[in-house]
Amino acid sequence: MSAQEERQEKPAKEPRGLLSSRRFIGALFVGILVYAYAWQSTEINLRKLVTGYPDIVHIVTQIVQPDVLSRDKEYQEVLTNFQLPCTDSPPERMAASESEPYLVLSHTCGVPGEPLSVEGFNLRPNTRGTVRWIPPAGTIRSLAHFDSDGEGHFVEGISIPSVDESEELHQIQAELRWEVGLPYASETARIVFDKMLETIMLALMATTLGVFAAVPLSFLAARNLMSVSRPTMIIYFVIRGIFNIVRSIEPLIWAVVFAVWVGIGPFAGVLALGMHSIAALGKLYSEQVESIDTGPIEAVTATGANVLQTIVYAVVPQIVPPYLAFTIYRWDINVRMSTIIGMVGGGGVGFLLIQWVNLLRYKQAGVAVWAITVVVWVMDFISAYVREKIV
Amino acid sequence: MLEVQNLTKIYDGGTVALRDLSFTVKDGEFLVIIGLSGSGKSTLLRCINRLIEPTEGRIIWDGVDITLLSGAELRHARRRIGMIFQQFNLVKRSSVLTNVLSGRLGYVNPWRSAVGRFPKEDVEQALICLDRVGILDQAHKRADELSGGQQQRVGIARALMQEPTLILADEPVASLDPATSHSILRYIEDLNRDEGVTVLCSLHFLSLARAYASRIIALKDGEMVFEGLPAEIDDARFKEIYGEEAIQVEIR
Ligand SMILES: Nc1ncnc2c1ncn2[C@@H]1O[C@H](COP(=O)(O)OP(=O)(O)OP(=O)(O)O)[C@@H](O)[C@H]1O
Ligand SMILES: [Mg+2]
Repeated sequence: MSAQEERQEKPAKEPRGLLSSRRFIGALFVGILVYAYAWQSTEINLRKLVTGYPDIVHIVTQIVQPDVLSRDKEYQEVLTNFQLPCTDSPPERMAASESEPYLVLSHTCGVPGEPLSVEGFNLRPNTRGTVRWIPPAGTIRSLAHFDSDGEGHFVEGISIPSVDESEELHQIQAELRWEVGLPYASETARIVFDKMLETIMLALMATTLGVFAAVPLSFLAARNLMSVSRPTMIIYFVIRGIFNIVRSIEPLIWAVVFAVWVGIGPFAGVLALGMHSIAALGKLYSEQVESIDTGPIEAVTATGANVLQTIVYAVVPQIVPPYLAFTIYRWDINVRMSTIIGMVGGGGVGFLLIQWVNLLRYKQAGVAVWAITVVVWVMDFISAYVREKIV
Repeated sequence: MLEVQNLTKIYDGGTVALRDLSFTVKDGEFLVIIGLSGSGKSTLLRCINRLIEPTEGRIIWDGVDITLLSGAELRHARRRIGMIFQQFNLVKRSSVLTNVLSGRLGYVNPWRSAVGRFPKEDVEQALICLDRVGILDQAHKRADELSGGQQQRVGIARALMQEPTLILADEPVASLDPATSHSILRYIEDLNRDEGVTVLCSLHFLSLARAYASRIIALKDGEMVFEGLPAEIDDARFKEIYGEEAIQVEIR
């Protein structure tokens, strides 16, 4: 086909539109293949959303009831004997009393699997308790929960657990627990508070590191300043290149690197976030230097000001407020990042969170989650407010 | 007296912005420079206070060759030359007062001024200058909160702080509406008339030039194509300066 023919054909083709073209069908086919493969390789299984639902409800209910406050606990315990299996002389029933708490069993000896009724008297009224089986050796088992009534009485039917037979007597315990006094910050809350402070300090140090390195580098990465000669232009390209590479590596990956280098802990987190901050701030700062309006510089120079005065009066007001704004924004981001950087060994509250999640202690994890949410929200708010004020 | 002798400016790219330009401005004159965009008006004004380095030629002001000065001598020459810009060139994030005070930088102690301190007399003087251009009430606003006309008044107040004997105004009203343009030019005219400040002012509109100039020079492609009194520019001269296609637009 000659060039001329091709040119003639083109306008004829266009009105037929993209939809009917063979290329579109090809693209559609490729698209379907890609999505089919993606569906498979990401193991999408919508049924799991339903089957796994109870688990997540359980976790979320615990997370929304974080272990933030606690109160002192008091408890009351009553024990009675039980023989397993029965012999000629089963243990005596507990003596009834007017005021002292006591337990009454439907029978005082038996074999595993048999039903047994446990009745308690003179206990603390309206209190939650647990019936436990205490074998002479081996593990204690919780058998039932109960609530005592207004007179401090309860009846609970249990079934004798399959425990090893022994000559020694088994014991059945009823224990009631209740909280007294004013609530105070739980141990968890205190640990989270400490680690949260560490997290914010981590972000502060990382941001500071970023600022101190990025301020001088930003001038070397500003095109308008560096385009004066070939060597400075080379410096410009090198620094810009480094910024771009460092910035494209996620802080989490830096954290892994530094956790190996300096050990797991907040210092690794400072270095990881600092590294990323240098590049991110360096780029933003240098763009600010590049966008400096030369008009005021010209005007201040024309008044007979010297170089220092020109910088103070015409350059600083143009770059310092945006520098500050970027820095606060970065700190905000760093606080956010430092809450999760602990998960890969960077210290801070994230480390606690991932530990508790792994130990399935969701009430504690909940505290960390809430603390992170609150701190991130507050930082976000403050940073937005301050930025609005200074720019 | 300002003498411009054989002034030539060739930019790095090779553009000849000014070609062998010579003229004299007597003290107390209101000289208006006209010419099409790109004819070299801004380049000429900036060569006079050395914001741009002339390639060749001499600029002699009160007997001193400005082109030979450097360092402190140049700064001392500059502080008596006020400059007013088309884009106002205020430091937008600084207050109006700070912008006005910066006109004083050539006179004050550089170290004290570097930490933002000015003598009390200068602050008082700045307020007087702001009052003179009618925007005393705006002194503590940020410069970019002002309208264009108000910003240019700040620009004039800044130049006033220099106690100038020469004012260079580069299209001071090109981004303002006609009424505001007149009010700004009247402030400059007052300075010229009442205090005998020599004014070099570039303007786009011939009608404005006619209204304020004591003398006009016209540039075309970096060369002077006219020098004389406003009344001497007739239709033929106008076409020579602005080209055959141009029509006169009046600004009243
Ligand atoms: N920094 C520069 N580098 C290279 N060439 C320049 C520079 N500044 C101006 N020029 C050129 O010099 C010539 C004169 O420019 P100048 O700005 O002095 O004109 P002007 O009369 O002020 O124009 P306008 O009315 O548009 O402001 C133009 O051709 C312009 O392109
Ligand atoms: Mg110009």
